Amino acid sequence: MSTEPFKNVVLLPQTNQLLGLYTIIRDQDTRRPDFIFYADRIIRLLVEEGLNHLPVTPRTVETSTNQKFDGVSFMGKICGVSIVRAGESMEQGLRECCRSVRIGKILIQRDEETALPKLFFEKLPEDISERFVFLLDPMLATGGSAAMATEVLINRGVKQERIFFLNLICSKEGVDLYHSKFPDVKIVTGAVDSGLDENRYLTPGLGDFGDRYYCI
Amino acid sequence: MDSSSSLFVSPEHQATQLRRVVGGENLRPRYTPPWTTPYIIGVGGTSGSGKTSVAAKITASINTPWTVLISLDNFYKPLTPDQRQLALENNFDFDQPSAVDLDLAYECMKNLKEGKKTSIPVYSFTNHNRIPGKAISIYGSSVVVIEGIYALYDQRLLDLMDLKIYVDVDLDVCLARRLSRDIVSRGRDLDGCIQQWEKFVKPNADKYVKGTMKNADAIIPSIGNIAVATQTLINHIKSKLQEKSRQHLDELTKLGHVEELKLLSEMTNVHQLEATSQVVAIKTMLLDKYTSRDDFVFYFDRIATILVSRALDDIQVHSNKRIITPTGAELDSLMVDFDKVTSINIVRSGDCFMNSLKKNVPSMAMGKVLIQSDSHTGEPQLHCEFLPPKIEDYEQVLLVEAQIISGAAVIMAIQVLLDHGVQLGKIKVLVYLATEVGIRRITNAFNDAVQIYAGEIIPSESLGAEHCSWARKRFIDSRYFGCD
Repeated sequence: MSTEPFKNVVLLPQTNQLLGLYTIIRDQDTRRPDFIFYADRIIRLLVEEGLNHLPVTPRTVETSTNQKFDGVSFMGKICGVSIVRAGESMEQGLRECCRSVRIGKILIQRDEETALPKLFFEKLPEDISERFVFLLDPMLATGGSAAMATEVLINRGVKQERIFFLNLICSKEGVDLYHSKFPDVKIVTGAVDSGLDENRYLTPGLGDFGDRYYCI
Repeated sequence: MDSSSSLFVSPEHQATQLRRVVGGENLRPRYTPPWTTPYIIGVGGTSGSGKTSVAAKITASINTPWTVLISLDNFYKPLTPDQRQLALENNFDFDQPSAVDLDLAYECMKNLKEGKKTSIPVYSFTNHNRIPGKAISIYGSSVVVIEGIYALYDQRLLDLMDLKIYVDVDLDVCLARRLSRDIVSRGRDLDGCIQQWEKFVKPNADKYVKGTMKNADAIIPSIGNIAVATQTLINHIKSKLQEKSRQHLDELTKLGHVEELKLLSEMTNVHQLEATSQVVAIKTMLLDKYTSRDDFVFYFDRIATILVSRALDDIQVHSNKRIITPTGAELDSLMVDFDKVTSINIVRSGDCFMNSLKKNVPSMAMGKVLIQSDSHTGEPQLHCEFLPPKIEDYEQVLLVEAQIISGAAVIMAIQVLLDHGVQLGKIKVLVYLATEVGIRRITNAFNDAVQIYAGEIIPSESLGAEHCSWARKRFIDSRYFGCD
């Protein structure tokens, strides 16, 4: 159980640019091409931030002037796991930074009878337990499906501290609920919203991310 | 955000800063681009004396793109309908001093002498009028040759000139040359030409033009072979230009050294990318000579995208906008306008950022500046500039370069932007790899008012210790584009 509030939450610096980007994607009048472009830009920032938390190992290279340069190189294998369907919108941003990254999928939907999230499908890399995992889901509202997806990962042998949960907007309740189960997962986010409305949507939020990215 | 206070320097503030420098109270070195001290050569002589070919020969032998040849013919005054009728009847006196708009010529030359962008009218000899909407735009010239019968006539013009040449030739020879020129090139008839010569050209030559010979520093006797005299003058001009180049280089060198040295980290206008693990890992990939080109391009694009985004972080806030989200929530949210950002790439290394700029702002207007260093002296030279229209209206102008070594090209490019009306506070220099001395020069040249976003700045100590000599070599653009 996380004792400190917002421990293991990495919030992107709230620059003019970032706030401006959020204005665009939150506005209901923003049309889909713009929504996609500006959401992708935020996703890219989230991915870059997430990657910065991965360990590196010393590496010495030879420069064009034939001198040695003591640098570092990426260490350890990574993979992305997207929660179908909205999470898949974040895959491209990950691929733009890590070209041939493996991407697993998890489909979770609300069970009509119990109204609880239910796992319908999972397809993950065989060696996922040896990898750093970027869990992709744009909105962390109640945290129900994200928690279930994380459960799947942990059952496959992934350590909590090797999981990075990337989302564009989260709520404090969602973060608290999620961290009460998985305190060592790092949440990388760009905005913390005030709460949830009666339909369990983040508010002010931006509506249904999947609908806005794929259909509307 | 931390820089916002110094970022938006008001024009008044800038003006006082500049005045301070001009007034000499501020002893800091200041940058003077070569085109604000152009070397101006006047070539005068009677009509048909061969002054045009002397001027052309001088221009050709200097053979640089920043040498411009201007003919006073461009400054003929537009004729009224009555005058035009006289001209058609060969009864208008084109050879008196008042036929030429010497006031305008002086304005233009004065602007050029001050390094400003200047428009020269284009005159049609067929219509005897300036061609409307057509003008020759001149900018960035460090050598100006101006020729015309009255080039050495007006004292104001004479005062602007560094070298005054008069081409002297017998009037009979002039007539012969004039006839062949006017009939062949300007479509006049023989009788008209002779009439004009007798009535206007010859009397004016005697009355006004010949007298300007006394204003000349050198007189070329245009009888027989003028090659020796012309060559002697050209040699003199070249030695003067070399001296000017040396001064320019000295000045650039001096900008790197200032008495009260601030640490790089204390310079509020310099923003260096935080050396996170990814940033260092990408740098390692880029420095490794065994990295494939494919990887090199990929990783450069990645770091460049981070850098462009970083430079956009403190983009100007427009206003708060009341928006409604699809959940029905209303909120006042901060608005920015990415279309108010333009980028100017310094060809070729700045072009390595094209991909990443478009990744951040797909419709960004992009300008280009070509500045190259002279292969012998290393002096930076402005070859051409293509800037977005109304560049002064943009809120931010990103000046982009992959590597800064001496800083000279960037200083020159900033001056080009200032000359086109961009305020200093709107300029952000974006560079991946820079040397400390280059950054200091740029900062000093513009009174700390230009913001610099660098991927990495190599401190002078490291450069001196010889283990960072890769930072002194241009390798990024040659690897990115795959040709040296």
